[in-house]
Amino acid sequence: MKRTSKSVFFIVLVLIVALAYTSFFGIYTQFGDRTDTVIRGAKDIRWGIDIRGGVDVTYGPVDESVAVTEANLQGVETIIAERLIGKGITDYEMYSDVANHQVIVRFPWSSDEKDFDPAAAIEELGQTAQLEFRMGDATEEKDGKTVPTGSIVLTGKDVASAEAVFIQNDNGTQEPVVQLTLNESGKNAFAEATKKQSASKGTISIWLDGAMISNPTVQDTITGGIATISGSFETLTDAADLANLINSGSLPFAIEAKSSGTVSPTMGEKALEAMVLAGIIAFVLIAVFMIVYYRLPGLVAVIALIGQIAGSIAAISGYFGVLDSFTLTLPGIAGIVLSIGIGVDANVITAERVKEEIRSGKTIDNAIRLGSKNSFWSIFDGNISVVIVAVVLMGVFGPADGIWSMLLKPLLFWAPASTTGSVYSFGYTLFIGVIFNFVMGVWASRAMLRSVSRFKFLRKPWLYGGVKE
Amino acid sequence: MKNTFDFVAHRKMFAVISAVILGVALIFNIIFGTAMDITFKGGTLMRYSFEGTVDMAVAEKTAKDVLGNAATVKQETVNNTPVISVSLVDEISTDKQTELDDAMAKALPDNKMVQFSSNSLQASMGKRFFAKCLVAVALAAAFLLIYVGLRFRKIGGLSAGAFALLALAHDLLLVYFTFVIFRIPLNDNFVAVMLTILGYSLNDTIVVFDRIRENRRKLDEKTPIGDVVNMSLNQSFVRTRNTSITTGIAVGTIAVVALVLRMDAIISFAVPMLFGVISGFYSSMFLSVPLWAGWVEKHPAKKK
Repeated sequence: MKRTSKSVFFIVLVLIVALAYTSFFGIYTQFGDRTDTVIRGAKDIRWGIDIRGGVDVTYGPVDESVAVTEANLQGVETIIAERLIGKGITDYEMYSDVANHQVIVRFPWSSDEKDFDPAAAIEELGQTAQLEFRMGDATEEKDGKTVPTGSIVLTGKDVASAEAVFIQNDNGTQEPVVQLTLNESGKNAFAEATKKQSASKGTISIWLDGAMISNPTVQDTITGGIATISGSFETLTDAADLANLINSGSLPFAIEAKSSGTVSPTMGEKALEAMVLAGIIAFVLIAVFMIVYYRLPGLVAVIALIGQIAGSIAAISGYFGVLDSFTLTLPGIAGIVLSIGIGVDANVITAERVKEEIRSGKTIDNAIRLGSKNSFWSIFDGNISVVIVAVVLMGVFGPADGIWSMLLKPLLFWAPASTTGSVYSFGYTLFIGVIFNFVMGVWASRAMLRSVSRFKFLRKPWLYGGVKE
Repeated sequence: MKNTFDFVAHRKMFAVISAVILGVALIFNIIFGTAMDITFKGGTLMRYSFEGTVDMAVAEKTAKDVLGNAATVKQETVNNTPVISVSLVDEISTDKQTELDDAMAKALPDNKMVQFSSNSLQASMGKRFFAKCLVAVALAAAFLLIYVGLRFRKIGGLSAGAFALLALAHDLLLVYFTFVIFRIPLNDNFVAVMLTILGYSLNDTIVVFDRIRENRRKLDEKTPIGDVVNMSLNQSFVRTRNTSITTGIAVGTIAVVALVLRMDAIISFAVPMLFGVISGFYSSMFLSVPLWAGWVEKHPAKKK
């Protein structure tokens, strides 16, 4: 059998220390006043609003029997996003729950905003957007604000839908446009207005919540209630942006907050401090227990455990390019705690088996080899069962278009997947934790143990749990 | 072997102990009922932090003026901060919330009442969330049964899976009763704890079954199942105990820190979890696996 080299221990140790250091503290370059983040550290973790304070609100139609399309919800998202950005809030999270006709919004409230009124903000975000089509695009200054002066042609209730599509233009090429479909109520007024404006090559401007979003020149009289806005879009996405804005102002229903929750920043900060303090104390106690009880394998286990925690933090902060940063909530922290418990378990199982073999008179090399071999499937089965739980949680409580929901779709017909919530966070950190448990608690800790056992001064059975000679 | 314990012979005694504990808890539950947080039942809970001493009569009158007579008002400590809590069984509009904020600030100007947290949820949304939780638990249990059934088919996978689920049900019930007995309303934390214990308890039981499978392979075919199970339980005892100790240290530390700092949200998470960890250790060692051995003794596998 090939022997593990003495250097393996140091290589693995250096890798773990490097991962731990960089994932806890990050790497930043200072260039004058500018700090660039090379690797995100623990302080770059995006905390959930249960920790840093904020607002969590679910909007839905006031009349629950009304028909709601995906485009309608897209429109709701668009207007809420516009308003949030208008308030200077950019780090919000928003999801549409198509099955339940809801839009869920979470946004933090920064602690320097002393007078922030969450209830008013919830109210304001959910107000019906004011969409207006006006003659021309003339404006005037009134009370320090720019307001349109053209007469109103259409309002939101006159517009049935707006959609981004490709049409063939006069040059024979495909061009992205926004196609407007009007309701019966708007057809006549629009026909008259377009007749007037096309004669003078004038414009009809489109306003949403008092801001102009488009001012197309009228080419023809439009009598059929279907119009296209063309010429200004580079891509279909550009056209879709405008279509969404128009849709958000022509929703066939009013929305209201179905549920809302707010947490003040002070309440959350205290919870986080308590969790960090508890984490440090618990880690020290576990480390002492493992080293006193299991000696050398215990020490190796503690090193592997540091690697596992560092890996979980890195997976959440966005350290690895492939994994997006993840919003960490209190249940998410619980998931990390559980995965640490499972990580310790993998080491306990292995160390117990090694001890058993030593006490039955095996040599150190054989004891480590047999102990590792005999304990592997036990650890594997235990971890896979936890993975099953984590995957079910991510599927049931995750976003509808997430990979886990897709996989579980045939089984979820009676409880369609909806939006990410705190339980999803728990499933995610648990899943990540188990993956790192295989890397650190199983592979790294075994490699380190085999490697340190090559050192002559460490070849004493007592160090592996044998009876003292 | 020294220091061995005959788990299988004592299985009935432990089954009775468990049944008594669960029975007493159930009676307690029937008498006192289960408190549900608004996460599941819908409703409103508004909390205000304050300074000085609040005249509760004024606070109560203010809340009832705005929200009607159904509103209840009490003073409590949340996350180490004294707060005035106003609750209502129905959800309220954000207009009303603002109105209450203003009314409180006006009625009690010296107390500097500031909204600390607010929650308002329509009852239908609470029910939907509760239904999803049940689906998650059922789905996870079904998958786990299939997995255990496949992995342990050599030692009678389905019966092993069924008894693993028995241990699971025992532990989950115990966690539930911890919430009931400590009068903690069922909320998001309840779901997180139930799921944690689901994974943890199963892990404990599977490790023992793994050992049984291994011993079954090594030992003479004629060795009675009771002896194989006893040997396996004794061999896994230290591992299961030590893992429970380390997990218990982690959860217990969180519970103690939360108790000292009076972080209610965390206490309601850590304390039931601690009971779940202890129950997970007990149920796999003394309950499900020994009971399974008894069942296999009575229903020996047919010779192939």
